[in-house]
Amino acid sequence: MSGRFRPGVFWGSGVKRVSVAVLAVAFVVFALLPRQSQLLLHTIGQPLADLVAIPLEGMATLDRDMREWWMQYIALQGLSEQNRELREQVQRLTGEVNRLRAQALTAERLAALLKFQKDESVRTVAAKVIGRSLSNWYQGVILNKGEDDGLREQMGVITPAGVVGRIVRTSGATSIALLTIDPNVAIAGMVQRTREEGMVQGTSQGLVRMKYLPPLSSVKKGDAVVTSGLTGGFPRGVLIGEVSRVEESEDNLFQTAEIVPAVQLRYLDEVLIVVSPRSPDAMIPLDQALVSPRLQNPAP
Amino acid sequence: MKISVYAIFILFLISFQATLLHSLNPFGIQPDLCLVIACLVGFRTGQIPGAIVGLCLGFIQDVFSAGMFGLNMFTKAGAGFLAGVFARNLANRAPHAAFVPIVACSVLSSTVFLLSSRMGMGLGEMLHAFSFILLPQAILDGLAAIVANWVIVQWLVEAPSA
Repeated sequence: MSGRFRPGVFWGSGVKRVSVAVLAVAFVVFALLPRQSQLLLHTIGQPLADLVAIPLEGMATLDRDMREWWMQYIALQGLSEQNRELREQVQRLTGEVNRLRAQALTAERLAALLKFQKDESVRTVAAKVIGRSLSNWYQGVILNKGEDDGLREQMGVITPAGVVGRIVRTSGATSIALLTIDPNVAIAGMVQRTREEGMVQGTSQGLVRMKYLPPLSSVKKGDAVVTSGLTGGFPRGVLIGEVSRVEESEDNLFQTAEIVPAVQLRYLDEVLIVVSPRSPDAMIPLDQALVSPRLQNPAP
Repeated sequence: MKISVYAIFILFLISFQATLLHSLNPFGIQPDLCLVIACLVGFRTGQIPGAIVGLCLGFIQDVFSAGMFGLNMFTKAGAGFLAGVFARNLANRAPHAAFVPIVACSVLSSTVFLLSSRMGMGLGEMLHAFSFILLPQAILDGLAAIVANWVIVQWLVEAPSA
């Protein structure tokens, strides 16, 4: 055995074997203990996510500035500003129209009205979109708010115009939300006109479909689809989109409706995360709750 | 010093892929730059460096991914390793020589994602994802690898001294 140290040989034999062995052991542990290894990786990844969020936010600002600059100076200077204002107005009005339509319909049902009023008083947290999914396999966005701001997995993400998606992963300062066009997102929806419920899910084609509609449903092109509020994350009556096509499922047991999302998911800048969709009582700040008449004069 | 440069490069790469790359690509499909870099490191310097770089980049991708934790880590490490194995059997290290090995690594890596993210959604969904996500991404990865390899050959690799 030679006493002379030769880095090439050292790297080529010992380290190489050890590295391969470590990788193999890590892979086996990962395969045998998926839950524990997921938890471990999530814990290790949290501070890293907070660190990466810093350049990510800077780059997102640069991206937004560049996009705005492009829109303003290159593509139709005056019109782009007007277009932006009109688009914002349309989004605002769409939200308002939807709210009014929902109110008008639910006003006919007293019980539903009470529920709707409760649902309207949801508590939300505003967040900025600082990035997009790093992979083509998931349609998601990275938000600049996380567990430190009270966000948790499965919370709904909306804008004034409608539903955006659902949070699937959180760290201290950031969170990942999957968009409604992702096949892994499913939201309980309802056709606003007919009150029929179904499951709204994304597809690989980047579309949104409402599945499991009754075969005799009268749903038609142009119908608005809103959240039914049955599954967690969303209050009742938030617009998901508009039906663009209706077709029967392959087994003819259900109908499927293709939906055009109400929100332009490609150009998201700010979103709202629904922190408490169902328990309006929980929204009352502690200091106000302590002087609440209901608490002061409890029912006998 | 070298480690800090690598760390800054990785932070820049991840941030670029999550922000500007989306704005620059109008077709909805983008190359996976992390995979390309892991494969190129494997291609040019050997299996183990490729696997380690893939592991690090994949881990950061996992942190910002909606999928299962560890999936990116192991697929990128595997891709980096495989690229190194492919390169050992190649006589030609010209920039365009990276195309086929990296397309192959990309296809293998993406197949794992296809199975994990679209499993149980029907054959139609899987075929659509194969044709409109997996294959275009593999080709884009290969093209990005040629460009990156060309940059390395032109500017980063020192010419052998006479």
